[in-house]
Amino acid sequence: MSQYAFLLDLGRCIGCQACVASCKVGNELGIGQQYIELIEKTHGEFPNLTGGWDNHRCYHCGDAACIAVCPTGSLFKEDGLTRLDRSTCSGCSYCTEACPYDIPVMWEGKSSKCDGCADTVKAGGSPWCVGTCPSMALEYGPREEIRAEAHRRADALRNRYPNAQVYGETQAGGLGMLVVMPDDPELLDIPIDPKTPFMAQAWQKIVQPASVGITIGAAVVAGAAAVVARRRHEEELDELEAAGVISGHGDEKEQEEDE
Amino acid sequence: MTTQKVPLGDREVLRYRKRPRIVHAILASSFLILLLTGLVILWPALSFLAPGGATRWLHRVAAVGFMSVPIVYLIVDREGAKELMVDSFKYDRDDWRWIKRFWSYAFGHTANMPKQGRLNAGQKMHHALVMLLSASIVASGLALWFFMPSLGPTGQAWAAVIHDLSMLALTLLLVGHLYFTFVYKALSGMTRGYVDIDEARLEHAKWVEELEQEAAEEAAEEDKQAV
Repeated sequence: MSQYAFLLDLGRCIGCQACVASCKVGNELGIGQQYIELIEKTHGEFPNLTGGWDNHRCYHCGDAACIAVCPTGSLFKEDGLTRLDRSTCSGCSYCTEACPYDIPVMWEGKSSKCDGCADTVKAGGSPWCVGTCPSMALEYGPREEIRAEAHRRADALRNRYPNAQVYGETQAGGLGMLVVMPDDPELLDIPIDPKTPFMAQAWQKIVQPASVGITIGAAVVAGAAAVVARRRHEEELDELEAAGVISGHGDEKEQEEDE
Repeated sequence: MTTQKVPLGDREVLRYRKRPRIVHAILASSFLILLLTGLVILWPALSFLAPGGATRWLHRVAAVGFMSVPIVYLIVDREGAKELMVDSFKYDRDDWRWIKRFWSYAFGHTANMPKQGRLNAGQKMHHALVMLLSASIVASGLALWFFMPSLGPTGQAWAAVIHDLSMLALTLLLVGHLYFTFVYKALSGMTRGYVDIDEARLEHAKWVEELEQEAAEEAAEEDKQAV
């Protein structure tokens, strides 16, 4: 399966909000629903300020924590991107807590996040944000091509910004969003190395299937053993009755008649 | 339940009065609803039932019923609730000897088992484990219900895992519970309240002896009054 990815060049982002608007309109998002948010981040004190625009949006993690905790399979990987099928979402909100980037939000009782414009891309178009960006800060394509382009841009930026780097090659299993950063990710409050907690991975991959398997196994074994054990117990009662130890256990029919 | 003035028939003995039977019915029905509605988000084949949130709503309603059990029990049968609580954590020498021979009992043999009181050692362990696991499933469930935003990703995963493992253990206890109910034909104790006197004598000898002694004392008292 081809792996696709976005390129987000924060060295070129001018914070114009065109991606925000086109995403909202193109995906026909509801009132209050938003997949991209531009947040201006600054660090330090004037005049020694650093920072820029945090393009707060799904990073399409390779090992996505949201997928690991989604109980209904509404979040899933496709073409290297993290899709969301809102029609099957139960609204448990586990994904909103699990995401290390704090991306999914609850909207009208269900999870809401970027799905990489699945329908538009499958129809041959490009994601709305990519098609609208006036400064070519956003690109979309096969991940390897995007990765190469990201490095070209980071290399070019490094002349002016020595800390320029590509973010997302290894983080969270390799992101479906390769970010060209003029400076360190902490300056935009982006985690350097986000990880899905082991327990979140183990929950649905190990604990849940094991629980179902053990329960079914135990019920089958107990069901079969119960038939044998009850027969043995009845034999024991017959023996005890014959020996006069008990007065007569098997008189259920008689009891029912009496009742 | 108390064992005072328990009707002791020729063939049957009253095992559970109406009030503890009602408490048991609340516990059993809420547990089964919780199990089935929980399975919806645990077993992928059933996840098609989850959208819409009806099963979550039902899960929470049943959770309130489940959590109300100890309160209802204390209200309707204070003495019985206390007795169950104390008995479940009190094991005498016969209980430990019974536990050592558990497998014999599990396969339908009551002969050579040490004499047991109203609760056998297996029932005591079952009740004790149900109480402890219920505490852990309620705590983790409440955390997931009300405190998720403050749990963080790791805390949320731990709460979910504890919740699932507690339910796994409780469900295995339920399997065992149904197993012994079937093998020793004990269902009537929770439906009509009465069980077969011979079964009771074999499996709860100390308890039946106590009842017989009480009945004899009462009869003697009546005789005295009649004279």
